[in-house]
Amino acid sequence: MLKRRKWFLGVLVVFVMFCGSLAFAQLPGGVPRNETLIVDQLTGRVGTPSNFNLWAGWRWQDRGLQQLVCEPLWTVDYATGEIIPGLAAEMPIYNEDFTKMTIKLRQGVSWSDGVPFTADDVVYTIDLHVKNSELLYHGPMAEFVDKVYKTDDFTVVVELKKPNSRFHTNFLDRWGCLRIMPKHVFEKVEDPIAFEFNPPVGCGPYKLKDYDPAGFWTLWERREDWEKTPTGMLYGEPKPKYVLFEAFETEEAKILAQLRHELDMAQYAPEGLRVVLEKSNTVRAWRKNWPWVVNIDPCITGIMFNNMVEPYNIKDVRWALVLAINIVDYMAIAFDYMAPVSPIHLPPVPAYVELFFKPMEEWLKNFELDIGDGQKFKPYDPDVPFKLAQAAKERGYPVPEDPEAIRAIFGIGWWKYAPEVAEKLLKKHGFTKGADGKWYLPNGNPWKITIVADTNPAHHHYRNAMAAAEQWRKFGIDATVNATEAFNTLVLMGQFEVATQWPAAEPWGVGVDLSRTFDVWSSSLLTPIGQAVTLGPGGAARWSDPRLDELLKKMETTNPFTEVEATRLLGLEALKIVVEEMPTIPTYGYCGAVAWDEYYWTNYPGAENPYSQPYQHWPNFKYMLPFLKAKH
Amino acid sequence: MRFIISRFVQYVLVVFCGITAVFFIPRLTGQDPVLEIIAQIQAQGASLDPTAVQSLMETLKELYGLKGSLLQQYFTMWRRVFTLDFGPSLFQFPTPVAQLLRIYLPWTIGLFVTSTILSWVLGNIIGGFAGYFSGKPWSRILDAIVMVIRPIPQYIFGVVLLILFAYLWPIFPVRGPSIGRGMIINLSFILAILRASFLPALTLVILGGAVWFQQMKLLVQNVKREDFVEYARIGGVKGWRIVFRYVLKNAMLPQVTQLALALGQVFSGVLIVEMIFSYPGIGLLLYRGVTRGDYNLVMGITVLSILTVATATFLLDLFYPLLDPRIRHR
Repeated sequence: MLKRRKWFLGVLVVFVMFCGSLAFAQLPGGVPRNETLIVDQLTGRVGTPSNFNLWAGWRWQDRGLQQLVCEPLWTVDYATGEIIPGLAAEMPIYNEDFTKMTIKLRQGVSWSDGVPFTADDVVYTIDLHVKNSELLYHGPMAEFVDKVYKTDDFTVVVELKKPNSRFHTNFLDRWGCLRIMPKHVFEKVEDPIAFEFNPPVGCGPYKLKDYDPAGFWTLWERREDWEKTPTGMLYGEPKPKYVLFEAFETEEAKILAQLRHELDMAQYAPEGLRVVLEKSNTVRAWRKNWPWVVNIDPCITGIMFNNMVEPYNIKDVRWALVLAINIVDYMAIAFDYMAPVSPIHLPPVPAYVELFFKPMEEWLKNFELDIGDGQKFKPYDPDVPFKLAQAAKERGYPVPEDPEAIRAIFGIGWWKYAPEVAEKLLKKHGFTKGADGKWYLPNGNPWKITIVADTNPAHHHYRNAMAAAEQWRKFGIDATVNATEAFNTLVLMGQFEVATQWPAAEPWGVGVDLSRTFDVWSSSLLTPIGQAVTLGPGGAARWSDPRLDELLKKMETTNPFTEVEATRLLGLEALKIVVEEMPTIPTYGYCGAVAWDEYYWTNYPGAENPYSQPYQHWPNFKYMLPFLKAKH
Repeated sequence: MRFIISRFVQYVLVVFCGITAVFFIPRLTGQDPVLEIIAQIQAQGASLDPTAVQSLMETLKELYGLKGSLLQQYFTMWRRVFTLDFGPSLFQFPTPVAQLLRIYLPWTIGLFVTSTILSWVLGNIIGGFAGYFSGKPWSRILDAIVMVIRPIPQYIFGVVLLILFAYLWPIFPVRGPSIGRGMIINLSFILAILRASFLPALTLVILGGAVWFQQMKLLVQNVKREDFVEYARIGGVKGWRIVFRYVLKNAMLPQVTQLALALGQVFSGVLIVEMIFSYPGIGLLLYRGVTRGDYNLVMGITVLSILTVATATFLLDLFYPLLDPRIRHR
């Protein structure tokens, strides 16, 4: 009996030793943990692991490809409000009538295989895109480029077929742009579409070391000649020798990995962030205190109407639905009070608050709606942030007392909760309210709203949908949420009445130029229902306004680099028109719940020191790496 | 002969109807794979000029083989079925579906087949004994434990194992970073695979084993009350001989059928377990295909699934008379 027990114990010890010896996972390629930064990959497991050719299709570019290997001509940094010239040496230079753009290039840059970067690479890239219709950026290149040539090894001139003051934005990286190809690699390739570009060659500070054929991870190694990259020249040596991008299929696995110090930078749903912060002594969020989340993201979330469908083609109906929302209750459901509300179609990030929100505040306060019978109503409520702060305090959150701090967390204001005014607006158009408290359409049918939403409960689209449905139900409308996998298709094809898609396209980072936000609402791009809109976020609202068309024309002939104030004022005017018409409802700024483990690395760009945008999936991630500090 | 022909006709009909349904169902979901790609690019904030997107959509339709009428696409699909070339995955374009299957299927087969057989063997042996000795205290205790385990969803059970063995007592990885690598046969690779597959396999073996256990226990409890067992006992046949030759052997027949059908589900994969443990299997691949409207990928996986299950059932029908003399007699 004793012998048998000993034998059993022996087996158990060997088993535990076997597991224990392998317990602390060896990293791919055997790279040392203390020299490796491990980050979570936002878009999940790579579907095309061996293919790095991001010019030819979707290649999960946030696997490190856009952050570490590719260096664009320019990059937007929404945390600082700057445009960072990467391969370009300075901002683009336009001629008077915007038919010629000159690009001055940075000198001394090398591709990761040692070949010098020159104007030939830029000319080749643009030229190839003009000729090859299967490349992603063929459209704008073929439409606008007349001629492209170099005047010396570091100057490229692009002559345009027609004026375009925003042609440079094709090369301005804000999670995607036309990046420059290595001519010496692609010119030897017969088919640039089928070419896998493996290993990728770039001007970023890292090169490919290894990757998982199943797409779960990609490992990058710092280039020995990092000083020959724009990142090295601008900010110095990136500190981690290796960067490992990992995809996790579940939030639970991600949390456990971070608690075991096997993941340094991650992005969660707010609930996941809370768990990590509670359980770990070494993990921090963007903000060290509540509400923790990143609230400087350049995206605005909210509700989108299909303006081609009755009754949402009526401005008063859209406004009635705004006034039927109690934003304090709404934010409790949508994001537990952690996000800043926004009354306009921009997120309330610090730069925009200065450039647009504060200058618009007086106008917002005086803005009036005609509610019939000669009556006017001022819908703006500047006290919303304080109401939100009070509600958050009642939930037990440590809310600051300083009014400025409150506005920084909760936003500058939103629209009043005024169901009685909403009622007047609806009755103006023949809507009726039954004895049962339910609303009826002018044709006598019960008013039902189906909000089409994303299926991911952690996504802001889903959260907005739930909150909106709740508010409108309270108001007496039979509102339900249809969270469907066909969300994207339905929205793009216009087969919806109300959806929780982005209410407006984010601008070019946080500069004064808002053309990207409003371009999608140009009447020339209006698309009938049943035909897919191709206009990015906001465009699916299928709305336009002649006054906005006029402003867009003016924007086209205004140089955002040399006519900064004029550009800003045009943006302000456009914002006012969109508020008046309310084709979509902006609710709150997108918030990312990032968690950084300070066990191996410190000095992340948190709220107290926002030297860079904070996400590991943005292309600017490479500019953050020289500032990180190793701890072990 | 008539038996074989009738079974074969049934087999062909099942395959035809199944594959036809697989062609039409994804097209009825309202999802457009081209728009999914466009939305994916836009949702991540990538900037594409509005005027560029229209030409991109045309290009993608051409590349994906989505041009032409539904009938033309249907005939093309049959050609693909016969050549087992399902074209490129639409979401993971231009990777061919066949290549994706080659990468992921061995991992699923490795995990799924091993754990299914293991759970089947363990569940049937333990369940068999527990059924035969159902009056003993250990049998009742085991039965009570299994009653508790069996209804636990895979997701909960997997996460509990992760928390126990990858966090509180961290002897296993949250996931093995090498598991997705190509098959290289050497000791450290095999050890890494075993280690990374241990918790997913344990989840499947315990939860699957609990089902087999309960089924087998009930079967054995019924069989041991049959007259022929009683006669054997009265006739003086020894105890263990009765257990193995009379009871377990007869109780096994439906379990063999169930095993064949269970193994046929390999193509559906073990989605939940694959997700929890970041295991590179066919279940996750299929899930991605369905959510992204990737017709070709869904087609490739489900056609193989239909063919495998139908063929397994067909073969089982043919071989069953060899196992069960009662059917042979009929």
